[in-house]
Amino acid sequence: MSGVLTMGSLDPAFDAATGVDGEPVVVDLRTVEFVEPAGLCALAALLEYLCARCEVVDLALTGRDVPAYLERMNFFRSFGDRVRTNADVASLEERRRHNPGTLQELINFHAEEEIPGIIERISEILENQGYRLRERVAICSTLSEVCANAAEHGVSSFGAYAAVQAYHHIVSGSRRRGEEVLIAIADGGVGVRETLSRNPKYAEHTTTDTDALRHALEMGVSATGEIGRGGGLALVAGIAARAGGSLSLRSGSGRVTVYENRKNSRTVPEFPGTFVRVSLPRTQQEKSSG
Amino acid sequence: MIEERAHRVFEVAGGDFGGKLMVTRRTGRAVRDSLEGALEELPKGGILYVDTRGVELMDYSFADESLGILVSRSASGEYGDRHLVLVEEDRDLLENVEASLRQRSLAMIRVDEIGAEPGIVGKVPDHLLDTLQAIYDAGSITNAALATRLGLNHTACNNRATRLAKLGLIHRRVETAAPGGRQYTYKRIA
Repeated sequence: MSGVLTMGSLDPAFDAATGVDGEPVVVDLRTVEFVEPAGLCALAALLEYLCARCEVVDLALTGRDVPAYLERMNFFRSFGDRVRTNADVASLEERRRHNPGTLQELINFHAEEEIPGIIERISEILENQGYRLRERVAICSTLSEVCANAAEHGVSSFGAYAAVQAYHHIVSGSRRRGEEVLIAIADGGVGVRETLSRNPKYAEHTTTDTDALRHALEMGVSATGEIGRGGGLALVAGIAARAGGSLSLRSGSGRVTVYENRKNSRTVPEFPGTFVRVSLPRTQQEKSSG
Repeated sequence: MIEERAHRVFEVAGGDFGGKLMVTRRTGRAVRDSLEGALEELPKGGILYVDTRGVELMDYSFADESLGILVSRSASGEYGDRHLVLVEEDRDLLENVEASLRQRSLAMIRVDEIGAEPGIVGKVPDHLLDTLQAIYDAGSITNAALATRLGLNHTACNNRATRLAKLGLIHRRVETAAPGGRQYTYKRIA
């Protein structure tokens, strides 16, 4: 593992985690220099997976920046008492400073009724930081719809994790000028394919995880098949794509990323749950016109 | 001249549900319960103006659970002869209401403000659009006059208007016409 901690960079760790059976485990992040929200949520999901399967989980970190970032993102609030680390967390707490780019620290939630509070808080932060109404709506509706899906379909012992971070450069793809907001949500539920399989009319769309993900991104596709259901994900993918960003949906061994004019699918190592990463670039026009 | 009908204005952002930020189906259900209560308190023929102008954010789940299901129940006759009108300007927030109603093949009347020219949000079958427009242009019109205006026979015209009435987009009234016949009159609702 090296450089940036993303969902993908944890693939080997997830792969190895499936073989864990009680023995002590070390998650080695010593080569990580930069953590994005997707990596943070994926790490949380990985540690939940491991903590449920072994008594001792160690997290190996190096340097100051990554431990400090994890502390600022409330990571140790969730895992400080369950995961051992070589980082001196107590000293980080003393130096704790708010990072203006942090729009939502790592938050753990279980139920739909927690979501309005999460949205109210982030909306206030966005407003205080000068985000225009249209941007706030894009960020908040993405977060609310994906969190609601996680709360409804992603039922698991740990619920779901979400984090949101703003950057003064584009971090998706090659690093370049611009601004970008990254939203990530991970749950430990049964995954998209099994959820959609509950509806027999989707039988031919649930042969593989990737098929199921592609279908879940269509308007009106839902587990219950009720009219009106299954619109949220398709609409927020549309918002991200129109803004020049992307929405990446991952579950089981499938991954689908929606861009403005294309949809990429890939078979990837198994992820035990459902994971969503949304990139919303900020453009000068958006910043000035609102 | 449109007759004054009993009406009530329900300000969605003014309720106890989270004010300007309307997200999740759970919140949508709470708002829908209140809207249903308000609808049922109206006399027959009454209009409930659902004013969402104070709302900053309405996600799809909220829009579908509150307005999508409400309009669906209204179209299936659950609230009798009581109508819904959305009070909202033409802005991004409408996208989710539009998406929900389109998913459900339904529509509702929308006005920028009470008394303003009405428009449509959602989906009205193409072959009903000119009928709807003619009724709104006239304000109030009999089936015979409408059939003449549209160049339709009376039965076809009545069928179209009946469909619009069932969708909750117009009022439809039956009057006894001499000698011994029935005459239908259609009226705009906003």
